[in-house]
Amino acid sequence: MPKIFLVITFTGALVNFKNCDIFFAMRKILNQRGFMMLNVVFLTLIASLAAMILMNAATRVRNPQSTLRLTALYVANEQLAQMESLAARSIEPTEEILVKDADLKTTNFTGEPIEFTVDTEIVGSKCTVTVSWAVKGQEDSVTVERTIWIAPKEDS
Amino acid sequence: MRQKKIHNGGFVLVEFAIALPLLVLVLYALGLVSVNIYKLGKDQLADYVLESEARYAMERITQAARVAKEIELEGSEEHGSGKIKIVYHAVEDSSDYYTMKDKSPKYYLYSDRDVLETRIFVSYKKKDRKYVNLYTERKNNIYTNPITGENFFGDTTLNHLDFDLNKTKKILHINLEMESVVTEHKIKIATAVFMPGYKSE
Repeated sequence: MPKIFLVITFTGALVNFKNCDIFFAMRKILNQRGFMMLNVVFLTLIASLAAMILMNAATRVRNPQSTLRLTALYVANEQLAQMESLAARSIEPTEEILVKDADLKTTNFTGEPIEFTVDTEIVGSKCTVTVSWAVKGQEDSVTVERTIWIAPKEDS
Repeated sequence: MRQKKIHNGGFVLVEFAIALPLLVLVLYALGLVSVNIYKLGKDQLADYVLESEARYAMERITQAARVAKEIELEGSEEHGSGKIKIVYHAVEDSSDYYTMKDKSPKYYLYSDRDVLETRIFVSYKKKDRKYVNLYTERKNNIYTNPITGENFFGDTTLNHLDFDLNKTKKILHINLEMESVVTEHKIKIATAVFMPGYKSE
């Protein structure tokens, strides 16, 4: 910044060659358009800096749902795996929850306890498992589908 | 004329005396916001690494377990922690291939035998590492392929990796917890895999 001052000062001194007093020339420029120009430069710089920083911040808003979706996906797969196991043993799967109780509870990154709800729907051989949860009143869910054939009984 | 300019100069000085502290305040506030953004960005990157590594580790284990023929756990037969050995069907042993054998000989090699592979997943702390990571290897006793950790954008550690095997149901239950060293955030994933090709003996 001092370099800018120097440039302005010497330019001013050259322009005001009749008054060779450098300090007087500097004062004159600061009084008038030079200072105004400097103000404009400063304000522009600050405004662009602020805009850049705030625009950067806007994309970095913390997501409270982070990683819960992944956990829910694996809970849904656990339910389907248990249903597949039943079907392979020629037992018709029902819509009851087969997931371990401990797997239905977790915490998010801020330490808030989360509880998953598992809903199963069986239409023919198409099994649909929906795992839902809520964080601070914000609900979310994951749905996974799988075709499961019930194995014929060996004695039949 | 000169007298008037000196008077104006005083005004400029006062204006500058007010503007400069304001400028400093504004720059300080912007600086604080910038530092917070930097920290938030760093944390989010580390969390992203944690989530993607946990997902990848779980996916590797479940993919191998799905086609498993034999399972060997560190600990008891039905409950293990930290290490799992999976012998799995590398090539699908499908009866459809047998019917194609006579028509197209190129399927013969793949249809006539059951190709098995062995995959070991083990969590431990390497000599030069501060944290526990998950490693994989095809042969026993040489654990050189890391699956998690040592990511430039955020290191992770494996808190626990538990397995429960139900031989009757042919179900392998996997419980994985990982933690980010940068943010100390934890992620817990649990799932179960049905292993249709599992032989209990």
